[in-house]
This record gives sequence, C-alpha cells and structure tokens, in this order.
Amino acid sequence: MRFLRHLAAVVVLVAVVVLAGLAWNHFAGGGLPGEAQATGKRSIAPGRGPGIVVLQPGAKAGPGGPHGPVVVHPGPMNLGLSSMLDPVNLAVLRHTVVIEAVVIALVVMIDVSRRLWRQERRAREVTGRAPARRR
Amino acid sequence: MSGPPVTSPAEAAPAAGRRRRVAARTRVDFWFDLVLLLGFTVAYSYGFTGIAIHEWLGLGLGLALLLHLTLHWDWVIRTTRRLVSPRGHDKVIWLVNLALLFAMTLCVLSGILISRVALPYLGIYPLGGPFWERMHALSAEVTLGLVPVHVALRWRWILRVGRRLLAWRPAGRSR
Repeated sequence: MRFLRHLAAVVVLVAVVVLAGLAWNHFAGGGLPGEAQATGKRSIAPGRGPGIVVLQPGAKAGPGGPHGPVVVHPGPMNLGLSSMLDPVNLAVLRHTVVIEAVVIALVVMIDVSRRLWRQERRAREVTGRAPARRR
Repeated sequence: MSGPPVTSPAEAAPAAGRRRRVAARTRVDFWFDLVLLLGFTVAYSYGFTGIAIHEWLGLGLGLALLLHLTLHWDWVIRTTRRLVSPRGHDKVIWLVNLALLFAMTLCVLSGILISRVALPYLGIYPLGGPFWERMHALSAEVTLGLVPVHVALRWRWILRVGRRLLAWRPAGRSR
C-alpha cells in the first residue's frame, strides 16, 4: 500500500515534468539551440503502412536529427545485435564509459578534498580552543 | 543511491529479522542502481547498440526510473522538508537529483515521441519533429553529465555497501 502511494506520487511528479515539456514545445516550439540543423524534413506518410519514414520531395537525406535519417521498414524487428557485437562499435561504448568515469573521478576528488579541508579546519579550531579552556 | 544507510540505528537493533530486512533493501538498492547505471551507459551508446536496442532499453529505463524514484521517495520527502535548514551536501544532491529527474524524463519523453522502431512495433506511430529530436539529443547529453555526478555524490555509500556485498566470505562463516 505504501509502495503504491509512493508510486502514485512519483507518477504525478513525472507527469508534471512531461506536461512542462509538452508546454515548452507548444509555447516555445523551435526554441532549442541547434534545432534548425536537426531537421531533416522527414514525415511519416499517411496511409503508407506502418513504420515507413519517407523524405519529402526536395529534402536531402542529411543528418536528420540525433540518430540520422533512419528508414524503418515494417516486418520482423531487427534488434541489430550484429552491430552490438562488432568490436568496431565498442569505441562508442568506451567513449561513454570514459566520460562517466572522468566525471565520477572529478566529483569524488572534489568531495574528498572538501572533507579533508573541513577536517583540517575542525582540528585547527579544536587546537585553538584547547589553551583557552586551560585558562 | 539515496537509500538507507548500511548501518542505520534500526540495523543496530538486536532484532535479527529487522537487520536482515534492512540489509535486503540495501542489497536491492545497490544492485538495482548498478543495473540502471549500466543500462543507461549502454543505451546512451547509440552507435554500439543500434536503434532497436536503444529504444527498448530507453523505454525500460523510463520504467526503471519510476521504480527508482518510488524506492527512494522517503528520501525525496525527507530532504525536501529539510531544505530550509542549511546543510550544503544534501542541498547539492537534491538539486542534482531534481535536474536529473527533469533531464531523464524529457529524454525518455522525447525518445518516445521520435521512436522509429519500438512504438511502431507496438502499433503506435508517434509524430515527433525537430523539436523533440533536438530535445532528445540535448537531454541525453545533460543526463550523461548528471548521472555520474548523481553516482559520485554517493561514493562513500557505494564503497561501503560494495565492500560488504562483494567481500569474499569463506563458506560456513557468518558475518
């Protein structure tokens, strides 16, 4: 029961963020940096069958967004596991891991130095107070 | 990451059942968070996974995010209430977590709206657009920056629990 209550609260919170995102698109659509380059003039043709992404007449198959202009054909789903097992693509995963590791290392170093500095300051305060107490 | 500490006063209580329960919860938090981190790392590496795995993993991460937040809802409430009292570290964690909530939610939402494999497979054809494509790329980059910060801010907890969970114990010996 407690879990469900918490889950409901989380769903409400996430729904608020989702609504904020939708409102952002509605009221300030086109307000994201680099959006002009991201457009590939793609559209899903009505009545063309499920999952087919077609280019509009005159549109070039440019970068087309973060994932490129992928044309998805209907039919049995291809999970693309062959590309996952290809060692060439491991560089992409390695790149992500390196970014995460660097950020983690930086934050840990900052946290450790902050703690050491606080400990030192406290130790200095204690040694400063000790003679005063003796008096 | 923001779960109960390994050695809480409740854990120190003599009741063995209570101790076992807290340890089990800590174990769940640790392994679940580790799976989330690995899942996000793989999902972000789009060139490694390919579109189908990227999308299905992203949807799974969306659900896992809900579960993660639900499991730590007590912490959210506790820390939000304490925000007025000055304690720097908790405030930083709270702000990072809030930013991460926004970034990850927008990332999953925009991912759903520009889905080309997973949702069409389920018979749903979302009409995304350049705004959502850009939003997906931006929020994913912000999330990539915030996830390691979120993890690193709890490095002492991770180290403590990790040591206990991964420590080699000879068979037949209890803790």
